[in-house]
Amino acid sequence: MSTDQITAKRVSTDNTSANNISTNHTKTKHISVKRYLPDSSTETFWQEYDLPVDDSTSLLDALNHIKEQLDSTLSYRWSCRMAICGSCGVMVNGIPKLGCKTFLRDYEGDIRIEPLAHFPVQRDLVVDMAIFLEHLAAVKPYLIDDNPVKPYDPNAPETYRQTPEQLERYKQFANCINCGLCYSACPQFGLNQEFLGPAALTLAHRYNLDSRDSGKKERMAELNRHDGVWSCTFVGFCSKVCPKNVDPAAAVNQGKVEAAKHTLIALFKG
Amino acid sequence: MNKIAMNKPSMGQNSAQHKQAFDEPLWWGLFSAGGVCFAILLPAVILFIAVLLPLGLLPAEELSYERASSLLFSVPGFLFVGAVVCLPLFHAAHRLRHGMFDISVGNDALNKKLMYGSAALLSLLALGVVVAGMLS
Amino acid sequence: MDKSSSQRLPPLKRNWWLKHRFFKLYMLREATVLPLVFFTLCLLAGMVALLQGAESWQGWIAFMGSPIVLLLNLLALAASLYHAATFFVLFPRVMPIRIAGHSLPDQVIVAGQWAGVVVVALLFFWLLGRG
Repeated sequence: MSTDQITAKRVSTDNTSANNISTNHTKTKHISVKRYLPDSSTETFWQEYDLPVDDSTSLLDALNHIKEQLDSTLSYRWSCRMAICGSCGVMVNGIPKLGCKTFLRDYEGDIRIEPLAHFPVQRDLVVDMAIFLEHLAAVKPYLIDDNPVKPYDPNAPETYRQTPEQLERYKQFANCINCGLCYSACPQFGLNQEFLGPAALTLAHRYNLDSRDSGKKERMAELNRHDGVWSCTFVGFCSKVCPKNVDPAAAVNQGKVEAAKHTLIALFKG
Repeated sequence: MNKIAMNKPSMGQNSAQHKQAFDEPLWWGLFSAGGVCFAILLPAVILFIAVLLPLGLLPAEELSYERASSLLFSVPGFLFVGAVVCLPLFHAAHRLRHGMFDISVGNDALNKKLMYGSAALLSLLALGVVVAGMLS
Repeated sequence: MDKSSSQRLPPLKRNWWLKHRFFKLYMLREATVLPLVFFTLCLLAGMVALLQGAESWQGWIAFMGSPIVLLLNLLALAASLYHAATFFVLFPRVMPIRIAGHSLPDQVIVAGQWAGVVVVALLFFWLLGRG
């Protein structure tokens, strides 16, 4: 927590405050958090918190402050604090966001925090992502190699060579961190939970584009279903909320082109 | 640890759900082609035929009965109807079908038949009119 | 964990798209086909009128000039332009065009499509507007 300014300012004996030579003014902000405590009630309720924030306070910092200083019963997921683990996704004023990448300085007025939409809530801001992981597993998002693993040959260590051009084809789609924000943004997933959804279809496309992979045929069988690429209507909100600029909507719709080619080939081969 | 055990049974179990959607590429292809026509051709078509013509802003005789007949009832007229009527109809059918799903109206299997069926019938009618005009 | 054991939520209520501006614009984009269908039906009626003879063709032109029809067709014109604006930006994302290993900038593809709209309008002017 050495860079956590809230902690640093609160505990004056903490010598990490030396790192925080900051001209930021601490203000008090009001946030509302949607609570769900299944042990005591099946009803959800809104709880209000006032907390000190400055320009560097992220939403995750704020939640940590609540948990440590105000209300230890609050449950939420987090880990890396640097937008790579993908575990701190929540709805902020109805829009899916990563807590660690969202700064309270950008919000005037209401800040309403809810669990990620379209997933069953387990407790407070913690959702059950099993269905997302299921859809992810269905598209086999890993390199499938026709050749079995060869013993390492120091004279020809050339397995999986790839040119920068070949890398460029899928690189953007490889930045997915599986945070699930796109599933919360996708109305088609909200309307039909069997829809494989943005991230899974994007990762399928990412591996289909990889020169080292030969599993495209297996994945196309999943993509070319009603609940595969064909449930997407290019709403495009998934790409708007993606914290890593992966553009899942583009990947899914490029997947439609691939599925159409796959169908044509299947027709001609009989 | 039990990753394989987790995946394998489900593959067979959901075979009905794994039905390939071999018709969807056709509808999507027609939707996309129709979308291109709607975006590139329709602004000019609507402007000239549905706005300037009825307002009398086109030079007289440009779309007189004789000129309009000779333009429409021809091979270029046939292609024009394909691009300006038929493809946009399939574009509209696709969006209406998905729009009805979006607002939970009817069921998708029936909507699909109704929408694409209507688009096909109206397309046949439109092309039939051109052919009839060419023969008469 | 069995595949069928993971929990599914019921579908969204049908007013889901009213809750966010982005979704309202999406629905507006989808709704551009409604005035398009109206115009297409008008056009079909005109084709049938043309097949019937000179009199019904003049009748159809008069029908197209009635205020409500004209208004709805002006709406269709606006809808076609809104559809174009939303559709053109999707194209380079669905079909990225690569020339000599480099992808063409999105703006170039979008501008090219708008140029297409202008060319078609000029073609119509050449065909119908010279007098």
